[in-house]
Amino acid sequence: MDGFIELRGIRKRFQGVPAVNDASLTLNRGEVFSLLGPSGCGKTTLLRILGGFETPDAGRIIINGQDITDLPPNKRPINTVFQNYALFPHLCLWDNVGFGLKMAGKPRKFIDQEVERMLDLVDLLDHADKKPHQISGGQKQRVAIARALINKPQLLLLDEPLAALDLKLRQRMLLELDRIHDEVGITFLYVTHDQGEAMSLSDRIAVMNQGRIEQIARPMEVYEAPSSSFVAAFIGDTNFFKAHVSGSVGEDYSTLAIEGVPSVLAYNDKKLQRGQQVYLSIRPEKFRIQREKPAPTEHLNMLKGKVLDIIYLGSNTKFRVECGGHVLMITQQHARFMLDTTPLTWEEEVWVSWNADDGYMLQRYEEADARLLDLPNEEESVP
Amino acid sequence: MSRKWREWTITLPSMGWLVFFFVIPTLLVCGIAFKNRTINGGIGEGWTLDTWLNVIQPSYPLVVWRTLWLSGLTTLICLFFSIPVSYWLARLSKEARNWMLLLIILPFWTNFLIRVFAWWSLLHSQGWLKQALVWLGLASPEAQLLYNEWAVLLVLVYTYIPFAILPLFASAEKFDFSLLDAARDLGAGKLRAFVSVFIPGISQGMITAFVVVFIPVLGSYAIPDIVGGPTSEMIGNKIAQNVFVDRNLPHASALATLLALVVLLPVLYSIFTQRRQKRSTGRRS
Amino acid sequence: MKNRSKFPMFVTIGVLVFLYAPILVLIIYSFNDSRYPGAWQGFTLKWYRTLLEANSVEARDIWRATRNTLLVAFCATIISMVFGTLAAWAMYRFRSRLQSLHQMLVYAPLVVPDILMGISLLMLFVNVNMSLGLTTIIISHTTFCISYVALVVLGRLQDFDHTLVDAARDLGANGFAVCVRILLPLLGPGIAAGGLLAFTLSVDDFVITFFTAGPGSTTLPVQVYSMMRHGTPTLINALSVIFIIVTFSVVIFSQRVLQKRDNSHPHI
Repeated sequence: MDGFIELRGIRKRFQGVPAVNDASLTLNRGEVFSLLGPSGCGKTTLLRILGGFETPDAGRIIINGQDITDLPPNKRPINTVFQNYALFPHLCLWDNVGFGLKMAGKPRKFIDQEVERMLDLVDLLDHADKKPHQISGGQKQRVAIARALINKPQLLLLDEPLAALDLKLRQRMLLELDRIHDEVGITFLYVTHDQGEAMSLSDRIAVMNQGRIEQIARPMEVYEAPSSSFVAAFIGDTNFFKAHVSGSVGEDYSTLAIEGVPSVLAYNDKKLQRGQQVYLSIRPEKFRIQREKPAPTEHLNMLKGKVLDIIYLGSNTKFRVECGGHVLMITQQHARFMLDTTPLTWEEEVWVSWNADDGYMLQRYEEADARLLDLPNEEESVP
Repeated sequence: MSRKWREWTITLPSMGWLVFFFVIPTLLVCGIAFKNRTINGGIGEGWTLDTWLNVIQPSYPLVVWRTLWLSGLTTLICLFFSIPVSYWLARLSKEARNWMLLLIILPFWTNFLIRVFAWWSLLHSQGWLKQALVWLGLASPEAQLLYNEWAVLLVLVYTYIPFAILPLFASAEKFDFSLLDAARDLGAGKLRAFVSVFIPGISQGMITAFVVVFIPVLGSYAIPDIVGGPTSEMIGNKIAQNVFVDRNLPHASALATLLALVVLLPVLYSIFTQRRQKRSTGRRS
Repeated sequence: MKNRSKFPMFVTIGVLVFLYAPILVLIIYSFNDSRYPGAWQGFTLKWYRTLLEANSVEARDIWRATRNTLLVAFCATIISMVFGTLAAWAMYRFRSRLQSLHQMLVYAPLVVPDILMGISLLMLFVNVNMSLGLTTIIISHTTFCISYVALVVLGRLQDFDHTLVDAARDLGANGFAVCVRILLPLLGPGIAAGGLLAFTLSVDDFVITFFTAGPGSTTLPVQVYSMMRHGTPTLINALSVIFIIVTFSVVIFSQRVLQKRDNSHPHI
């Protein structure tokens, strides 16, 4: 954590409505950092503030110890890849890429040499004379990246750069972006609403919701140890349980009382005391589902349930299982040849089990976040 | 702060110009309507309602009425012919459509007086149209085609029909023609489908066409002046007559104010309907 | 769709005949060796000769009026292109109460009948004791041309992607460079189209000019009008044909240029 770029307490309101609310974060040199959140969460506003297109109502932006909050976009060592590419339609690719150096007043020879290098980097040297409307979406994207990188910015902002591309192209461009990042080593700030892009590309992710940063962590941490119900529900699927701490087992484990089911064991990293309320999040794939009661082991929780729904998806199957008034979403991977087995069917009695370490206690819980999940919430499904 | 300043610097030139050369003159006209004239054609001191009393003299209601029915009828005729034209244009291929459109607006680019003059020569007592009608036995050799209300109506329609076609075409172009097939499928006749599906579909264009034809026709001056006579004068002729012949500027101003009020009504109506439309579509989405 | 009614097509053809027939007759008349419209007296080119050689008082008046017309149109076009473009940019860029007022002001001259603008400008010039002449005509024409230019440029701006300006700023362009390298090249065709419209409207205008012109500052339409009313209309036919040829070729040429441009820039 060298604190190369720092945002301190950024706030921005539009017509009285807060778009960014007290956002602080630190970017490290050379990392890919993602701002992830649903549309309207303030991630694009935060990016535009960094780029200099909006002035924050409060807060400072510091790069390398220099406060750039009041500098206009053309004076910042930051460049942007815009969502719709924003290529200049009247200039050919070569002139588009060279625009930044021309503005910087660099000599002609130097510009030519750099443009050639950048177009080569994005593999578009053959198309240098074409106008933007003559090339495909993926190529436009690469031109936009080359154009933004040519000034050797300290920070590259990417605003939903793949949103306009189709799925196949998006996956190819992700690899391409990764390669370009490895080659230039510049810090990337990547704004997206797509968790897959953020998870696969980033060193760290900031999950944003309603103008606030909910959590900043490595992708794996964000998934496995979400700080709030929003993060848990927005990234991947999960199951929420409302519980009370009813006792402790050893140093690190607590028993939790959940309405309608026998008490369960959970890892207590929050050091919660007996009687405190807590919300538990368990990812669908952490469960095991089977006909026979599993052999009890240390820290294994098990509940008896009834299968409500089965969605067979080839590599895995999704189940909806009712356990003591709770409807659980469970995903089971199929590592074995399935035709040799007798699959579970509707209404069948099953055992659902999971390890105490696989449930995660949330710091914050909002009722509304449960609606983000694919599965219908309890009130709707159970009469 | 600097944003506000930037906004003012780029707004001020056009705004200042229009305030000075459009708003102030308009207010001036309204003001002068309440002045007396002087003997030598100037504007007198003090305020008076005399001018207005003169404007309500017996001959004017007739001129106002004629202006209204001529404008109304012109608009109706233009709409009547433009609707099938716009329908046909909208169903053409894009290439053919552009050429047809160019063909329709091309006469509009020639000088307006020249087009009026062309009709004047056609309708003239020696003109070909007149002679053709006499030859066909449709008109007596003594009949005067020029200098009456029908000549004015004809040339007004001729001048303003492209103005009606363009907005109607713009609406028709966006019309989903499969709706007509759907109507036919549900048992509507050809004409019925056209009237009850296509025409409501282009209602926005009809309102625009109405405004862009009706309002300029209300204020027309040159056409009734050239192809019309004393029995086909419109408000515009009276205004010009008071300015250039009678040198009675207050009287001309009062008439202009009257005309402005008549013009304002359809404008306010169209703004009102557009607002309502916007609000209702807003609610839906 | 074999079942489609032929009626709309017949109406369209009828309308086109209606639109072009008078113009065609005018062209034929211009070669007629008669002082009055009417019977065919034989083919002649003498009206064109009179006009082009300027060997009559009327022909000389026409040429003076032509010069005035072009001068007025040129000045009004230049001024209204600058003011109208600024107005369109202001309305595009800012959404404030000031701009709704501004927008109303810009649109108002489009719906007001010419005669009202003519008389109100006349009243202004009379009241400030400005003598009527070319200057007053230029001012009057500029007043309605601003609105048309603003309308056309604003229409083009609806398709303009403002992130292009952000992108240019991001790449180090200052305000001046954004104007010269991005806005002018991209908005140029729109501004030119607005200017072309302004120019034609200025050349075409009769009513407003009639009210605001003084002695010796006649423009071509006013000249045509007075020839129609007072003089002999013989020269008008020939003049009209020249006029028609010039305008038709300008319109068709500009249409082709614009279409070509549209093909090469589908997004602008």
